Amino acid sequence: MEQKKYWQSFGELNNSEAYQQSSKDEFQEELNIPFEDSKGLFKGVTPRRDFLKYLGFSTAAAAVAASCEIPVKKAIPFANKPEDIVPGVANYYATTYVQDGDVVSVLAKVRDGRPIKLEGNEMSPLTGGGTSARVQASVLELYDTARLRFPTIDGKEATFNDIDKAIGSDLAGLGGAPVVLLTSTVTSPTTKEAIAQFLAKYPGSRHVVYDAVSATGILLANEATYGKRAIPNYRFDNAKVIVSLGADFLGTWLGGSNEYSLQYVKGRKLTDKKLDMNKHYQFESMMSLTGSNSDERFLHRPSEANAVTLALLSAVNGQGANGITDAKLKAGIEKAARDLLANKGAALVVSGSNDVNVQIVVNAINEVLQSGGKTIDWSSTVNYRQGVDSDFAKLVDDLNAGTVGGLLIYGANPAYTWYDTKKFISGLQKVRVKVSFNPKADETTQLVKYVIPDHHFLESWGDAEPKSGYISLMQPTISPLFKTRQWQDSLLKWAGATADYLGFVKQYWIGKLGSESAWDKALQDGVVNPATEPAATAATFNAAGVAAASAALGSAVRKGKYELVIYEKTGIGVNGAANPWLQELPDPVTRATWDNYAVISPALAKSLLGIDLARNGDSDSYEVHPDKPVIKITANGKEITLPAVIIPGTQPDTIAIAIGYGRTEKMGKAVVGSGKDAFPFTSYNGASVVNTVTDVTVAEVKGETYRIAMTQTHGVYATPQGVRTEVIKEMPLSEYQKHPSVILEEREEELKPFGGVADFEKKGTIYTYHDKPGIHWGMSIDMNSCFGCGACVVACHAENNVPVVGKAEVARFHDMHWLRIDRYYSGDMENPNVVFQPMMCQHCDNAPCENVCPVDATPHSSEGMNMMAYNRCVGTRYCANNCPYKVRRFNWADFMGADSFPNNQDELSDVVLMMNDELTRMVLNPDVTVRSRGVMEKCSFCVQRTQEGKLTAKKEGRPLKSGENNEWDVKTACQQACSTNAIVFGNINDTKSAVSVTRAENHYRLYRTLEEIHTLPNVTYLAKVRNQDEMEEKAEKGAKAETKKEA
Amino acid sequence: MHLKYESQLREPLVSGNKDYHQVSEDICRPIEVKPTKLWYVGFFIAITFLCFGVYCVYREVTYGIGQWNLNKTIGWGWDITNFVWWVGIGHAGTLISAILLLFRQGWRTGVNRAAEAMTIFAVMCAGQFPVFHMGRVWMAFFVLPYPNTRGPLWPNFNSPLLWDVFAISTYLTVSLLFWYSGLLPDFATVRDRAKTKLRKMLYGVAAFGWTGSTKHWQRHESLSLVLAGLSTPLVLSVHTIVSFDFATSVIPGWHTTIFPPYFVAGAVFSGFAMVQTLMLMLRKVFLLEDYITMGHIEAMNKVIVLTGSIVGVAYLTELFMGWYSQNKFEGYTFWYSRANLFSPYGWSYWGMMACNVISPQIFWFRKLRRNIYVTFFMSIIVNIGMWFERFVIIVTSLYRDYLPSSWSPYYSPTIWEMGFYLGTFGLFFTCFFLFAKYFPVIAIAEIKAVLKTSGENFKETVGKEEEMQPETFAHEYAHAH
Repeated sequence: MEQKKYWQSFGELNNSEAYQQSSKDEFQEELNIPFEDSKGLFKGVTPRRDFLKYLGFSTAAAAVAASCEIPVKKAIPFANKPEDIVPGVANYYATTYVQDGDVVSVLAKVRDGRPIKLEGNEMSPLTGGGTSARVQASVLELYDTARLRFPTIDGKEATFNDIDKAIGSDLAGLGGAPVVLLTSTVTSPTTKEAIAQFLAKYPGSRHVVYDAVSATGILLANEATYGKRAIPNYRFDNAKVIVSLGADFLGTWLGGSNEYSLQYVKGRKLTDKKLDMNKHYQFESMMSLTGSNSDERFLHRPSEANAVTLALLSAVNGQGANGITDAKLKAGIEKAARDLLANKGAALVVSGSNDVNVQIVVNAINEVLQSGGKTIDWSSTVNYRQGVDSDFAKLVDDLNAGTVGGLLIYGANPAYTWYDTKKFISGLQKVRVKVSFNPKADETTQLVKYVIPDHHFLESWGDAEPKSGYISLMQPTISPLFKTRQWQDSLLKWAGATADYLGFVKQYWIGKLGSESAWDKALQDGVVNPATEPAATAATFNAAGVAAASAALGSAVRKGKYELVIYEKTGIGVNGAANPWLQELPDPVTRATWDNYAVISPALAKSLLGIDLARNGDSDSYEVHPDKPVIKITANGKEITLPAVIIPGTQPDTIAIAIGYGRTEKMGKAVVGSGKDAFPFTSYNGASVVNTVTDVTVAEVKGETYRIAMTQTHGVYATPQGVRTEVIKEMPLSEYQKHPSVILEEREEELKPFGGVADFEKKGTIYTYHDKPGIHWGMSIDMNSCFGCGACVVACHAENNVPVVGKAEVARFHDMHWLRIDRYYSGDMENPNVVFQPMMCQHCDNAPCENVCPVDATPHSSEGMNMMAYNRCVGTRYCANNCPYKVRRFNWADFMGADSFPNNQDELSDVVLMMNDELTRMVLNPDVTVRSRGVMEKCSFCVQRTQEGKLTAKKEGRPLKSGENNEWDVKTACQQACSTNAIVFGNINDTKSAVSVTRAENHYRLYRTLEEIHTLPNVTYLAKVRNQDEMEEKAEKGAKAETKKEA
Repeated sequence: MHLKYESQLREPLVSGNKDYHQVSEDICRPIEVKPTKLWYVGFFIAITFLCFGVYCVYREVTYGIGQWNLNKTIGWGWDITNFVWWVGIGHAGTLISAILLLFRQGWRTGVNRAAEAMTIFAVMCAGQFPVFHMGRVWMAFFVLPYPNTRGPLWPNFNSPLLWDVFAISTYLTVSLLFWYSGLLPDFATVRDRAKTKLRKMLYGVAAFGWTGSTKHWQRHESLSLVLAGLSTPLVLSVHTIVSFDFATSVIPGWHTTIFPPYFVAGAVFSGFAMVQTLMLMLRKVFLLEDYITMGHIEAMNKVIVLTGSIVGVAYLTELFMGWYSQNKFEGYTFWYSRANLFSPYGWSYWGMMACNVISPQIFWFRKLRRNIYVTFFMSIIVNIGMWFERFVIIVTSLYRDYLPSSWSPYYSPTIWEMGFYLGTFGLFFTCFFLFAKYFPVIAIAEIKAVLKTSGENFKETVGKEEEMQPETFAHEYAHAH
């Protein structure tokens, strides 16, 4: 056969060189290694194989070279180390928080010359180391950008010399016209001396004490019945039955003293063996913090307050609750009276009314109950509130009459707080010499010629006597930041004294204490207490005024369809609105921030706004939108439009508005756009300021809404599957006494398939069990002790550099609180029970957040802490989604100015920028990283404190102490701040630690939130027990009312 | 002899009596002529959306996630909803190219190229969300496991989000390879038809020197099979892993073992709907009615009604379990937060039910299955419904979970949050317009392969010969000589 050549292409036919090459290459198998021939990278045979490699490298190199530019901030060390400053080690100085008459002994934590945090002074028997939210927040006011920075004459800066000369000559030129020194309550003995010296220099002059929210009623009633214009030492701890007639003694009554909450809770602590607690009745018109903690609470209209007081008197006199028509209320009064009478000598009735007659009747009731010398102790008096409204009213008249030549103002701000500011201002204008010592350009200071701003208390020397015989000393913790001067120095100077105030204080106390070393010790301790606690004494009761007072109260009160209560908020009070920490602290009951609003009842919401919270759809649509309907309230010829916030437990025809808002913009960025002024709705009845209006009209402003930034919404929390009790556990005292172990048994029952309570940790999982040797941190929170004040929340802000985000961001649910106090309602919507639950990272031993983080930014420590590595976090927020407790907080924006992007704070509100001011940032705790935008953060169990405590123990070569014999190496910030010791923290592997002891003593009440999902939280709660015979809803049998648990 | 059985009932896969040349002509035409005005308008709109999206992302990266309305309770909202939605859409491509290839479904050839392109673009869009939803996107490389100087510090291999990283990147890589290897012969066709030097060079590079040699074809076929084999488990795994993001968590409404199959069915469902949307437009604009026939549309509608019913069963199973488990939290989530029309997000649940379960049932009717307008409308409805599904899963589970104190107020997105989503549409359509203009939108080579068995022209000539009895054949051709 002929060998034919078959060809497919011309190349093949001609067998060209190109064809040969291509046919050879078609099946080429060997690889070419580029570096083999050492010709360099790109000269290699196949550099394309490495293309991606080079591309990757060069992109990465370019990216590294082009980015990562972080501004350099220089830290300059001391050339010579100051004697008492060790960098990185805090010094603590005992000093005293003083504001508007409130006094709390504190320790100021000073780091590198800057006070950064206040802790309660545990040597003070009054507070036992507790603080309040306002105390915790006051350190921020030291660094407030709105503080006045120098003395001014007519708004122009002046030197102290000039201003002293000008005032001196002005005062001298008054020609005998009296000078009036107007202050808020002064408790300082040395200041009183200084005032006396000053007044002596200007004959005819006088000192007027004016409290924005005064205790006139109590002071005058005590004068009438006991002959003493003073407030006795109430002893809530000696009371088995407490009846409060609208007194918010856990919140704001008499300045919101920590003493009362400490005493009150003493009577409410339970253990497995101690099954008895005090009983607290509250009669009020709106849900106050105290009312929300009461065992039994009864509602009345504000205008009925007098009648309720009288009815209680007649009831304790055995005549029944006369004059009360409402059956529920009447039964309540009679029940309270029965309980009071059954506990004579261990009963206490207090009233929040500022009406002298009411307080006289209250004194009469207490007299019947033999409270004197038991629950009302006259051996010492309480000095927080000394102002009497009529004194100030007279001053205003004098001012208008032109008979006052000079007015020196310290701590008072009547141009804002007086019910008739116009009259005060017109009178003020007739005064020739006007001086203000107020630290900020408040409403009154703006109207004054001479302004000599006072030091902040952390820059001041001084003392205070909150309760007679109990002294608290004040010493500066930083040299004055601005050209300010202590007002006492001014007084002494103008009085012609040679010594300055420091010398004056020192001399005074060396004289009292006997020696300089005693003074040094007192200063170091911060407090001087009586050697032995004085025995409680009673005062003689003069019943002469009671009949007249009763008659006056019995006369008819004009009563409209709706009534108004003006109240003081727990956090804000009168003067807190300029403090971002306090503004951002949610109100304990309403959970709203940054504003005041009209609190209305669900019933009023239904009739006025057509919102029926009992209907699910309605309640959802009202609750899930922060824009609330606006109502117009007209009273006393004045009107105000405010958003309506529906709060269960408000009397149906009552509207409540908080004071403290609507401030002048000069108070600082925090007050801008924050609420409206409610002081104009107060009135003066000739003896005292009245905070209720009994005839108001209310109308909805159609089509208008106002955004309220709330950190918690309401919603019904029940399913067809039954009552949800895994978050909150609560029971009536009667049940606890009958069957204390019921909660433990329920837990046992529920966990039985998984090994029961004891073995749940091991048997509730398919994974192997790990030992937890060494230290294991844990916390116990007693819900019977927590009353929801929020001191811990602010303490956490201060300790952990938690950012303030401002109203707009809170409204978007972007608040950053590491620790929050959840509020839950149970029972009916008209008058529910309230439970507070502090909620922070539960530091679960089987934490759902930990395993979902793609970059391992939140691992578990060997000491049981759930930790955050901020610089590892990329911000996927998966951990927050997967946290059943929703305690993780994400940095939605550059709240702290911590990252290197320029201009990225443009869109944040002014108040956030204020917190980023160079001055404000001095308050930051250098031990805690300031988190940048885009990272997650949460409660760390104050890891910086536990580390410090461990080091202390290690240096001293001993095991860590967490509460054994009340010795502490570590307390978390929230625990330290708590005025009632509701929070106990420590090493749970140490059986003697306080937390272990607490858990062991409260075996029955102990529970873990959401225990059944096997997160194994290291935070345990002790169930709430309410001193009720039988929960009313229990009577209705289970499901219905109890499923109405609301959040 | 007739080697393949051809159903008498089945329609031809390619209509219009095409021969090989016509196929090349038809499919290469859009590449070789100037684009129409419609193309320019569409492209411009897509680019505009893309630019807006880039601006939205720029704002988010500069100012922080606070640009979005997510909050302390709802950590994921539109971002992850869109991510899951886009990933789901990306599923049809692989299903069509891989599983249908393995099952020898001839009809896939008409749509596989565009469907695969859609997959790749959809996965690209999906990838934007997990990256840019990070608070510190510049640290996103932390999720990559590579030896580093930080210890070395490795990512957390327990985290479903990390599994996502691997799943999505693997999926993208394999899909891209599959798509590109299929494109090689077609690029070569375009190259060979090229009339300018530049075009020749560019398509020549893109064709990787394809000459059409037998060896090339042999390798190409093996590679296709290997990649199809690799992709097949991916079709199941990718959305399974995406569903793990939710299923492995503790949140009621997420913590559900039904999620993996339910997510895969949902993904196929939405993917086919998206393929329908795109194909219907493509065949109209580029006059490809002969290649993407009513038969294709009907086949895909059948898949839609099947998978739609599967997700429907899944929804009902969830509701049933919500009641049957007697778990209070699940009961609350499924019956109150979702199925209760009067709860704040009740509308989204019922929107989902209406779009995904109820409306696709119309495809039980042949007439409606074969109606282009109904199909187009339904494809949009299904995609809306599937978006709702993801929204329902993510938001209604989170906003009211365990602790009532943290129940969130109403979440609605900001303009920047929506803009990011619109921007990914811009990205998707920009890519798709470029693809339609510069790439053969139908697999020329594969169409030619099916012409043999189902092309009318083929049957008339060659096919007839094959069917002849030997005697007839001999007789016929005897005359030819």
